[in-house]
Amino acid sequence: MSSPLKAYKRANGSWGLRNQVLILPLHSALSSTARAIADGSDGAVAISHDWSGEKDNDLARIIFTLSGYASNPNIFATIFLSIGSPEEEQIIKGAQALGLTRFTNLLLPEIGSMEKLQLEAITLANEYVKEASAQERVDAPWSSIVLGLECGGSDALSGITANPALGVASDRLVELGASSVLGETTEILGAEHLLAARAIDPAVGKKIVEMVARYEDSINYEGIDIRGAQPSRGNIEGGLSTLEEKSLGAAKKAGNAPFTGTLEFGEIPKVAGLYFMDTPGHDIEQLAGFGAGHINVVVFTSGRGTPTGSAIMPTIKVSTNTPMYVSIPDLIDLDAGTIADGIETLAQVGDRIFDEIVQVANGKLTKAERGGHHEFALSRMYKTVVR
Amino acid sequence: MTISIKGFNHGNRGVGIRSHQLILPTVICSTHVSRRIAAEVGAVTFAHQHGCAIIGDDVEGINNFFVSLADHPNVASVLAVGLGCETIQSQELAAKLLSRNKSMQYRIIQESGGVEGTIAAGVKAAYELSEAFPSAHATVAKLRVGLDLGREVSDAAALQQLLTDEGCEVVVAHSETSSAETFSKLSQENVHVIISFPSDSQPASGFPLIPVINVAGSGVLHMAIRGDFDIDENTLLSGIVELLTAVAAGTETVAEKSKSGEIRAPRVVRSA
Repeated sequence: MSSPLKAYKRANGSWGLRNQVLILPLHSALSSTARAIADGSDGAVAISHDWSGEKDNDLARIIFTLSGYASNPNIFATIFLSIGSPEEEQIIKGAQALGLTRFTNLLLPEIGSMEKLQLEAITLANEYVKEASAQERVDAPWSSIVLGLECGGSDALSGITANPALGVASDRLVELGASSVLGETTEILGAEHLLAARAIDPAVGKKIVEMVARYEDSINYEGIDIRGAQPSRGNIEGGLSTLEEKSLGAAKKAGNAPFTGTLEFGEIPKVAGLYFMDTPGHDIEQLAGFGAGHINVVVFTSGRGTPTGSAIMPTIKVSTNTPMYVSIPDLIDLDAGTIADGIETLAQVGDRIFDEIVQVANGKLTKAERGGHHEFALSRMYKTVVR
Repeated sequence: MTISIKGFNHGNRGVGIRSHQLILPTVICSTHVSRRIAAEVGAVTFAHQHGCAIIGDDVEGINNFFVSLADHPNVASVLAVGLGCETIQSQELAAKLLSRNKSMQYRIIQESGGVEGTIAAGVKAAYELSEAFPSAHATVAKLRVGLDLGREVSDAAALQQLLTDEGCEVVVAHSETSSAETFSKLSQENVHVIISFPSDSQPASGFPLIPVINVAGSGVLHMAIRGDFDIDENTLLSGIVELLTAVAAGTETVAEKSKSGEIRAPRVVRSA
């Protein structure tokens, strides 16, 4: 099947499904300025975060995340806002190493005040936006799609409707040569042996099991039994009884394709295939890991409904049940509840999700994009923070 | 006491020097909706990344942190906005907040018709709150001043003495790298105002709800961005009482004008 895709080709050979101009504050004190710049510009986007240059044991993880995010192929250009610290410099160098070519670092101490920084950045952002809108999409191969698989606010229907339907779409894409990445280590806990059995070789399978064990250890380290904290109260109200039940359902997002490899949080896949990435269950921290890992489109299944999205990755929301789809219409792009109601088959909904991914890849805006939802959160391990 | 401040009576929250309506997102997923509501009604809100997938001591810690924000004397009324499935259940938090202050309502996105439905319901609730709970003027009996010491300040003891002599209660906190968590801790101490001495490598920063007076040091960074600060360290002792009196009476600090101030709740455990 020849590809109907049209995308933005980047200098390093990667593909963007969007052409965003990102305002990235490298210090939390510049976050509100970043938002004001985006609001005052002709279409640039911004993220906020709460890192203020702390040099604790999460430093490397934070630098890695921001470098990866700033260089996501969905970005035409990134405007960094910085105070001039060596760590900020490291983030920018890291982003360049990962393929970012169009960027400007606006240094607060050179410009003199946040107020002036804001004005200067808006002018620059508008220039970049103008250039970005002049760039045209070109014919792109199936491998241009790097899909992220996410679920949040799961309910009893997640593992029966939306997740396996997404699995159908993921399998079709992987078969055609695209990449697909399953995240959320929390949500495969108890189902890791099933994923490992689908690894392309025993080493990959072993890695999946090890990653899950490592995650559980990092939680146990705190004296917490994660199997007591999950499923969340929202999940239980949605009809899920155990973590294993939640995991078996969550894993269905990855269909039946073999696992090509594993990825650390925010790591970029090198060859096309299906991957497992070690990310937390916190929806937004996990989306940040996907962004850093150069995923360019996300499908997010939900039983309870969520408004969240990303500044750089179009995020397609799929409901597991029709009542939720009907009650919060501006959050959800597609309804998979029709499977439970006997109106559509799994394969039919899978095909609808596949078609939607293709349309969104080609430029159709998701509801989260139209609503301007640009949530972002840094993932931290906190393990060695001593106060 | 020479500093006499006309403030706002906020009932159980105490007498504040600001009269803010707080739109409190109980989870990161509701920060965007909160921001839309706050912009519409002229209230205060902030971005944060907390409220869900928290485990262990953080569950109680972050709950308590949100309660303390909603309980702050500078707050006139609170509209809590939740998503509905997060770890911190907005109904329970709301019940806790309501038991302390009646000037409080909550809305939940999953139960209010999604984004636009919640914004419409939230705007209505916010207006109802301002109407039902107008701020009455009252005198601040004792101004609580937080000192955020992020660097060596030779006049720190003299400043503390000066403020005490002026009838203020002073709470001192030392920040390690940035002021973010120190501000959060000082907010839990119910300080009315913060005087911040960021480290020479840190910029000026703010905190929602609490005016922050940023004091510039003599380092290269602070001199380069002097406009982001309110006062210089070397003129502090002669100028602080006048500045503090003005800020307490309503003059906005630089950080308040630029609405800078993300919050970072004190955390100890990774996200699940």
